[in-house]
Amino acid sequence: MCTTYVITRISNVLIMDRRHFLKQSTLASSLFFVPNFVKAFENISAKNLGYKRLVIIQLAGGNDGLNTIIPFNNDVYYRNRPTIGINKNEIIKVTDELGFHSNLLPLKKLYDQGHLTIINNVGYPNPNRSHFRSTDIWQTASSSDQYLQTGWIGRYLDEYGNKPYNAIEIDDSLSLALKGQNINGIATKNPQVLFRTSQDPYFKNVLEHYQDEHLSEHNLGYLYKTMIAAESSAKYIFEKHKTASNNQEYPNNEFANQLKTTARLINSGIETKVFYSSLGGFDTHANQINSQARLLKMYAEGVEAFVNDLKQQGTFNDTLILTFSEFGRRVKQNAANGTDHGAASNLFIIGNQLKTPGFYNELANLNDLDANGDLKYTVDFRSVYATVLDKWLAVKDQTILNKSFTKLNFI
Amino acid sequence: MKSHHVQHLYWRAGFGGTPNQLKTLSKKDKRQVVDELFSESTNITNLEMDTSELNHLVSKELLKDKAKQAEFRKLSNEKIKDYNVFWIHRLVTSEEILREKMTLFWANHFVCRDQNIFHVQQYNNTLRKHALGNFGDFVKAISKESAMLKYLNNKQNRKQQPNENFARELMELFTLGEGHYTEEDIKESARAFTGYNNNFEGEFVIREFQHDYEFKTFFGHTGRYDGDDIIDMILEQKQCARFICRKIYGYFVNDVIDEEKVEELATVFYKDYNIENLMRHIFLSDWFYAEENIGTKIKSPIEFLVGMRKTVPVTFEKTKDVLKIQKLLGQVLLNPPNVAGWKGGKSWIDSNTIMLRLKLPSIILANAKIPLKEKGEFEDSFEKHYSNKKKNKFVTVKVDWDSFDKQFKNLPVNDLKHQLIIPELSDGTETYLKTLSQKSKRDFCVQLMSLPEYQMC
Repeated sequence: MCTTYVITRISNVLIMDRRHFLKQSTLASSLFFVPNFVKAFENISAKNLGYKRLVIIQLAGGNDGLNTIIPFNNDVYYRNRPTIGINKNEIIKVTDELGFHSNLLPLKKLYDQGHLTIINNVGYPNPNRSHFRSTDIWQTASSSDQYLQTGWIGRYLDEYGNKPYNAIEIDDSLSLALKGQNINGIATKNPQVLFRTSQDPYFKNVLEHYQDEHLSEHNLGYLYKTMIAAESSAKYIFEKHKTASNNQEYPNNEFANQLKTTARLINSGIETKVFYSSLGGFDTHANQINSQARLLKMYAEGVEAFVNDLKQQGTFNDTLILTFSEFGRRVKQNAANGTDHGAASNLFIIGNQLKTPGFYNELANLNDLDANGDLKYTVDFRSVYATVLDKWLAVKDQTILNKSFTKLNFI
Repeated sequence: MKSHHVQHLYWRAGFGGTPNQLKTLSKKDKRQVVDELFSESTNITNLEMDTSELNHLVSKELLKDKAKQAEFRKLSNEKIKDYNVFWIHRLVTSEEILREKMTLFWANHFVCRDQNIFHVQQYNNTLRKHALGNFGDFVKAISKESAMLKYLNNKQNRKQQPNENFARELMELFTLGEGHYTEEDIKESARAFTGYNNNFEGEFVIREFQHDYEFKTFFGHTGRYDGDDIIDMILEQKQCARFICRKIYGYFVNDVIDEEKVEELATVFYKDYNIENLMRHIFLSDWFYAEENIGTKIKSPIEFLVGMRKTVPVTFEKTKDVLKIQKLLGQVLLNPPNVAGWKGGKSWIDSNTIMLRLKLPSIILANAKIPLKEKGEFEDSFEKHYSNKKKNKFVTVKVDWDSFDKQFKNLPVNDLKHQLIIPELSDGTETYLKTLSQKSKRDFCVQLMSLPEYQMC
């Protein structure tokens, strides 16, 4: 990762239009002292934004797509992976060519019910093989030679959102994806803890005495601004969270907990359009077989519980789940029974309103790899974003992506 | 030297100065103060922990015995947590201030994580040893550390099947930055690092039959290069000096980068890659003390915690509390998120971390209660939650207020503000502070630490 870029990025994210900024903070602070402002918010409600929600899951570290959805009739696959290629008889076959990893049985069920679309070979031109850079590219929706300081969800918030909680990351910290020019999403793993922490009389007094001059200061202004937004958002999220519950048992792990919190918030009718979560550990340079199997199981079981929870409470119809990884892995295995960073890979869309359930397209030719020995992309990930923005969230994709991308036909 | 400037220097080169330090040092001139800072860090005091509990497991037998391996892993993981606590304690108490701060900086540059306490300890002390030394020697030492050989898979980098992970991060993150090398350079340099390995004791060895002795073409030159040759060739690029200086500037001076200053530093650094000379140049320069560089950095969680503990010493009863706080604030030492490390600056701050940061001094020092002259409506429930019920206690600590009293005895209450708060307070905040009862120095200390301004250094 290039340091210049990080630093410019961080500072640019926060240099904001002062007028807009003051308007926002005055609003936030005055609302804070209106006891019933939560009620007022509810009345503005979801009308402007619609009811459809997007849940994004990042498989962080670079998931090996070829051992996830496996081309079990392909000699090239087995030739390149003498020790980590997955045996034909261990695969859940779904077409003549492709099958699921055996730990993805829950996903196969969604596939059978028409709730899953798998898009193969998703990537971008001149792929970058660094985790950080490629994650940034996916999160900012940039080209590989372009450095953007805002995330694609952040820009969605800039255009269509008005509160941090319009996009929530279920984590301790906020990803670049949710950082906009004028407004950021909010990160929380536990709405209760968030709320409890925000309710301190001393903070309120300090904020009551804050002055605009604080806000113009580079880093210190950022602290004040974050504090003001956090306080009102924490209360709103907590109030909402309290009203709902989970109807489903979830596996006991951190990833499932993220989805559990997401489901509870969705089922509360919260005015959040985008939820963001991630499952890490996919950087399998060595001894890949067991570690990837464990993670895929965690992913599939978590998603299964999540979908069931939403179904039972009637919110699955308006929820779309997008799962991606910053890159796939090299076709040829390495000496450590693992795989190195690759390029294009598969992406999952889960929902109840899919136009093309099943495989959206064919796997790229394993005989026609790029110079590094990686899969060539056939679908630009920004086409997927454009489709989701246009057809699901019903907003102008071009404004958010700064460019027009061919739309796909999966929703 | 102005006491304000001494405090600035001590916050960037360490974790803040004590009232006595500020008083004594402000009578000296800049060169004396800076010289003293460096001479105090001449020694290298390794951070060594008692690992005798593991002795019965440490023999080559371990490699064959699965049960023993599992036991070793478990104990080792526990020891690493202790080592984390031990390291923080070192940061709070060490007099080799600059060396420790630099070690912390380098730990987030040569980012590495490992599960073997012996290798973790060895790595940590390698960082400490080279923290103010020659950067070239430093990179070479890092490339041969057992923890790094494991972390970036160089152990699995063999002539027949090169593994590019280390070669890529060496250039992208450790020396040049992205965009200053080609994919071909990565492939070729990965071959130069083939056969790198370590023995059971954690010492570097070359596995000759796995090393590629053929010609490699790197940055337009061709030769039978090994890893050290590659590092030397990287250092020949001025970009390497520039990359490191930009990072140093962002960490020690200001996260808004001044490219001219970076270029000035790069020219100094490129001459001999001597880290001490570079740091001396920064601390002696006038621009380091410019107003725009003072009190404008957001403290990292570790800077925040260590600074607080230097002012009011505390002892945590449980290791896991020390770790829990770090986790919630987003920085657990010895456990970085990935090889790029923590981004720092504003990325430390989100809705959750800002609230916890403001709340933490009172949680640790005052049973979660920020002393107030007037009580607010929400106070009851919060207090009840954290202070009345023992089981809800966030952390269990012993607070050494006596030591605070002694340290601040001669400091008027009003000067406490200047001691603890680096940036200028706004009129509004000043007004608010005046409404608070400042009778108790202890209370006022907690109040000051609960201000957003305390997060700055």
